[in-house]
Amino acid sequence: MGSVNRLTDEQKKALALFAERMDGRLRTHLNSCVHCGLCDESCHYYLRYRDARYIPANKVEQLTRIYRRYHTVLGRLLPRWVGAADLNDETVKEMVDVVFGGCSMCGRCALHCSVGVDIPFLVQTARSMLVELGMVPKGLQSTVDAAIRTGNNMAIPREEFVDTLQWLEEDLRMEVGDETASIPRDAEGKRILYTLNPREPKFFPLSISAMAKIYYAAKEDWTISTRCYDVTNYAYFSGDGEAARELTRRLHDEVQKLRADTLVLAECGHGARAIRWEGPRWIDKAYPFNVTTVVELVAEFIRSGRITLDPAKNTKRVTLHDPCNLVRGGGVIEEQRFALKHACTDFVEMTPNRVNNYCCGGGGGQLSMGEYRDRRVETGQIKAEQIRKTGAKIVATPCHNCIDQLMELNRVYDLGVEIKTVCEVVADALVLK
Amino acid sequence: MSIPHWILLACFGAFVGASLFICAQIAASARTFDPSKPRGSSWAGVVYSFTGAMSPLKKESARRHMPTYLLGLIFHGGVFFAFAWLVALFFDARAPFIWTKISAWVLGATALCGAALLVKRIVKADLRDLSCPDDYFSNGLVVGFQVMTAAALVEPGFTGALFICAGALFLYIPLGKLRHAIYFPMTRIYLGEFFGKRGVWGAKRGGQWEV
Repeated sequence: MGSVNRLTDEQKKALALFAERMDGRLRTHLNSCVHCGLCDESCHYYLRYRDARYIPANKVEQLTRIYRRYHTVLGRLLPRWVGAADLNDETVKEMVDVVFGGCSMCGRCALHCSVGVDIPFLVQTARSMLVELGMVPKGLQSTVDAAIRTGNNMAIPREEFVDTLQWLEEDLRMEVGDETASIPRDAEGKRILYTLNPREPKFFPLSISAMAKIYYAAKEDWTISTRCYDVTNYAYFSGDGEAARELTRRLHDEVQKLRADTLVLAECGHGARAIRWEGPRWIDKAYPFNVTTVVELVAEFIRSGRITLDPAKNTKRVTLHDPCNLVRGGGVIEEQRFALKHACTDFVEMTPNRVNNYCCGGGGGQLSMGEYRDRRVETGQIKAEQIRKTGAKIVATPCHNCIDQLMELNRVYDLGVEIKTVCEVVADALVLK
Repeated sequence: MSIPHWILLACFGAFVGASLFICAQIAASARTFDPSKPRGSSWAGVVYSFTGAMSPLKKESARRHMPTYLLGLIFHGGVFFAFAWLVALFFDARAPFIWTKISAWVLGATALCGAALLVKRIVKADLRDLSCPDDYFSNGLVVGFQVMTAAALVEPGFTGALFICAGALFLYIPLGKLRHAIYFPMTRIYLGEFFGKRGVWGAKRGGQWEV
């Protein structure tokens, strides 16, 4: 009979959180993996390294072995027989390495699991336990902390952000030749409140310009909040439920404060998923406003004729990278294709694509975890080869985290492509009347 | 009724009780509060989860591991076939000899498929890393059950041994990894609901977004 080890206070808290989350869904997925291993090649980590550690079933195992130890009869009596394990320093260390350093929570494995285990859901639950144990990798934790402390994950001071918007507004006026063109800030009662990934004002202001130009062309009634505009929610990646709730609540309150009709989520895969799909559960209520992604909005602008595009303005071959959280985790699958096919003359798909697309390697908070930088870039080789095979000169993707990763892959694997957001490609094709 | 009959009945009763307990545990908190606005249909996702999503055409893991997928399919088919015969034998319902003989051959073949999966688990390093004694034992127990059913069909003298073997299986299902059999329908329902609500599964593609 296996006696349970003495637990530290943190370990007790982690197990208490685990028990607290034990609803029907979690219990079901914890009991369903049969260790068949057929999920192996659905994971880009395993494809790259051919190491059993990265088989999705082993990621599930990080949590299920703890579950069996503390929640099943045989796990309590004969732990070795059923592969149950104590929560101790050794198992926690391995858990950190596998669920943070060896998984981007892309969800491709869940789609192809022979039983149907929701593997990223279990990985996220394991990450939540690691929050209780204070074992979140430093880079990821500091990103969450920055968002909580300053209102955006890059800790951009409000004055700096306002300055950036002001000069982008001047640029917009020059570009469209209209002195009334604007990037409205903190305006109340607008139809749309637009969010941004803080990487945009910090590193990619042209993507804000692109979207401002599209809004101008569509004669949209919109605004940006200078207090609360961050579409990202890295607490979703770290598994920190409290921080995730707080970030969602702030955005919810800002939409209410500005009395906007629709919250439009910028090109950010995990942000779109976190706010649209996970957020209402975190704050325990349905949103009293509409939520949509900018990709859906722009596709609707094109379909309804609110903007006109000339694909001849984009003649280079364009391919599309599907962000996991937007596509597999959010169901936004065709709209970005619709937009790109109207905005360029030569669009090609990657293989595989849509819900079967491979993660670029930057998801799951990997971009903020310097500890696993080498793995992130090496697993990105799968994506790099996908891109190379298309012969494309431009890779478009509606996600700023993916953009960052693809830029690094472009450099490391010498792909010789331009990386753009979908809205940037659309803005390049705009016909201003 | 013989002693093996009573043993089987008692073990089956324990299995039903444990299964009901598991179902009650799930039912007690089956619904996770999720007020997000749906983009697709949960119901359509659940239907797809049990149909198209299971097809090798859509399931890459099945396509990439076709021999294993087929072995697994046949092995699991054999489980249900053996259970059907177990019920018949319990009530002493005998079919014509030719049918029992064919059934025994079929069960021999399905057991061989299961044994092949067991060998694969032993031989392949990646699978060994993933496995614990429960994985090997569970596989062996189910193979044994199919073999015993086949034997009882050919030689009625084995019927008592089959009942005891089946009883052991019933007792073990809720305890070890075989309990996935109880959880499986809910796993597919939860996954289907998740992808269905978000419009990933079960939604018609294209439509207004055709170019």
